[in-house]
Amino acid sequence: MADIDETNRKITLKLVYYGPAMSGKTTNLMRLHDLLAPELKGDILTLETQNDRTLFFDLLPLGFLTPTGWLIKLKLYTVPGQVVHDATRKAVLSRADGMVFVADSQRTQSVNNSESFQNLEENARRVGLDFDSLPLVVQFNKRDLPRILSEEEIEARWAQAPWPLTFASALTGAGVRETFVRLLEQVYPHADRQFSLTEAHGMSQAAFVQAVAGA
Amino acid sequence: MDILPGSFDREFTLSELLGGISRKKLSAALATLLGAGFRLSSSAGEVLAGTTDDLPGGARVAVRHDLEVLGWLEAAAAEDQVGAAATLLELLLHQGARYHMASALHIEVVRTDYEALQDQYAALQASEARYRALSQQLEERVQQQVGVIETAQRQLYQAEKMASIGQLAAGVAHEINNPIGFIRSNLGTARGYVERLQQFTPAIRANPPLAEAWKRADMDFLIEDFGALLKESIDGADRVARIVADLKGFSNVDHAEVEVVDLNDSLRSVCNVAHAQVSPKAEVVMDLGELPPLRCHAGRLNQVFLSLLLNAAHAMDTRGEIRIRSRHAGNELRIEFADTGHGIAQDVLERIFDPFFTTRDVGQGTGLGLTVSRDVIAAHGGRIEVQSAPGKGSAFTVVLPADGRA
Ligand SMILES: Nc1nc2c(ncn2[C@@H]2O[C@H](COP(=O)(O)OP(=O)(O)OP(=O)(O)O)[C@@H](O)[C@H]2O)c(=O)[nH]1
Ligand SMILES: [Mg+2]
Repeated sequence: MADIDETNRKITLKLVYYGPAMSGKTTNLMRLHDLLAPELKGDILTLETQNDRTLFFDLLPLGFLTPTGWLIKLKLYTVPGQVVHDATRKAVLSRADGMVFVADSQRTQSVNNSESFQNLEENARRVGLDFDSLPLVVQFNKRDLPRILSEEEIEARWAQAPWPLTFASALTGAGVRETFVRLLEQVYPHADRQFSLTEAHGMSQAAFVQAVAGA
Repeated sequence: MDILPGSFDREFTLSELLGGISRKKLSAALATLLGAGFRLSSSAGEVLAGTTDDLPGGARVAVRHDLEVLGWLEAAAAEDQVGAAATLLELLLHQGARYHMASALHIEVVRTDYEALQDQYAALQASEARYRALSQQLEERVQQQVGVIETAQRQLYQAEKMASIGQLAAGVAHEINNPIGFIRSNLGTARGYVERLQQFTPAIRANPPLAEAWKRADMDFLIEDFGALLKESIDGADRVARIVADLKGFSNVDHAEVEVVDLNDSLRSVCNVAHAQVSPKAEVVMDLGELPPLRCHAGRLNQVFLSLLLNAAHAMDTRGEIRIRSRHAGNELRIEFADTGHGIAQDVLERIFDPFFTTRDVGQGTGLGLTVSRDVIAAHGGRIEVQSAPGKGSAFTVVLPADGRA
């Protein structure tokens, strides 16, 4: 949505965690809430869940003030992964500025992963996002579990894809911050082009990443 | 409170987020916590609860939601007391936001689901309409096909009728041919006998009693009239023989052999055959030029000529004239049937060669349709030309290559 609000001197970016049901999107967000120490951090707003499964979305607001006194606000959302909630996924995805696709590393989940990825591609097109140029990071989660695809296998499968790949274990927090940083690195150039972050606000990429994800 | 659709993730104002709560109870609770001198105002300065009076010497604490300051809580009370009340308010705002976002998202989802349903319904209706149109088309096509089959059947019936008439004619001709042959031959012989009887006349005259009896019996007249009667009968028999021969020519339709004929003979025999049908309607004027002999399927050409002649007769509303002209020009033979009938309208003229086209009911005995005629002529390497002036008449011209390409 990349909103700019001149009166309140505020820029809002929307980042969405997408992926199949139970892949660990909500867990990623909860870990980020614990791991990140930006200048401004809201509480996680979790809408109804049913047995731990997201029914609407989760929202984690993060933010910081630029040297010029502007508020940069990042709204991190998760979508519900269950197939039935497609309309909700579409609504949450609309106007996203960047996405993390959280895949489940377990071998049994390959089909769900690819169906969900296709669903992401379709929904992105449906809500008018340019999927090919949109910042996207693909995270393979649950690395702590047995019977998972090896990193080599995953890398081979995704070798032709243009998106950065990360590995994580959201349960323990490993790789969660790294995934998010990779996303910020993808999002920054877009935001910089749109809002002149460097020139108008004195925010370099490094400063931007540090301000949001700084420990 | 109003939930705006399509904006579940927009920013909410303080009063929106407190919208679901009784303002009165909130004010009362805050007054109890902070004392009567308090004020809750939005960041835009609007007072939502408490007093509008100045609050000197108190504390002022920001009320935040979603990283931003949405309003201020002021009270003539201790800072930590005001802070605690502000925290309570923030918890309320958080719940308010959950409620707002959930309902807005719900509306959005219901709407998109409904739109998807409507799209499906529209698609369903479109496909139903398509099927209906298709079935309509199908029905039309079936009707058309039925029409085609009916016409073909009628044509077949007609063709078979023609064929059986041809066979009948051939049988009759064959049967008549023999007796007419010996009748003609016997009549010739009889005439010879009469001539020989006549030669006795001088001898009889020379014998007075015989001459007297001869005269009384009026034998001179008798013998002369006898000759005349025989001559008339011979002419009649010749005519019968000619008609029989013509009929045989017509019954040759299926006789696929190529013959070499003079088309003028064909035209004459066609006129003889059709005489009975044509003469009440029109006078036939023959204008036959010299034609070279032509290799052709004579029987088939005869059918074409007959059909053109009958068509011409049929075009007569009142008695008129049919002029049959034959010419040899260059390497073409041109046989023209020009009538003074009612002519053919332009739109009809464009369709007369269409298969199954007719302006008459089948069964009116017109022989071949123009399509078949055209096919026959085309098989001979020729063509049929048509000129027509409505109200004045039509001219159909059969043009054939003179070298006979049958
Ligand atoms: N072993 C292991 N379990 C994980 C990991 N990440 C998440 N889980 C578990 O997987 C289950 C689902 O995690 P969630 O984060 O709720 O999954 P989700 O993607 O939000 O699921 P939906 O909301 O239904 O789409 C939970 O029981 C998590 O504890 C991980 O890295 N390793
Ligand atoms: Mg979830």
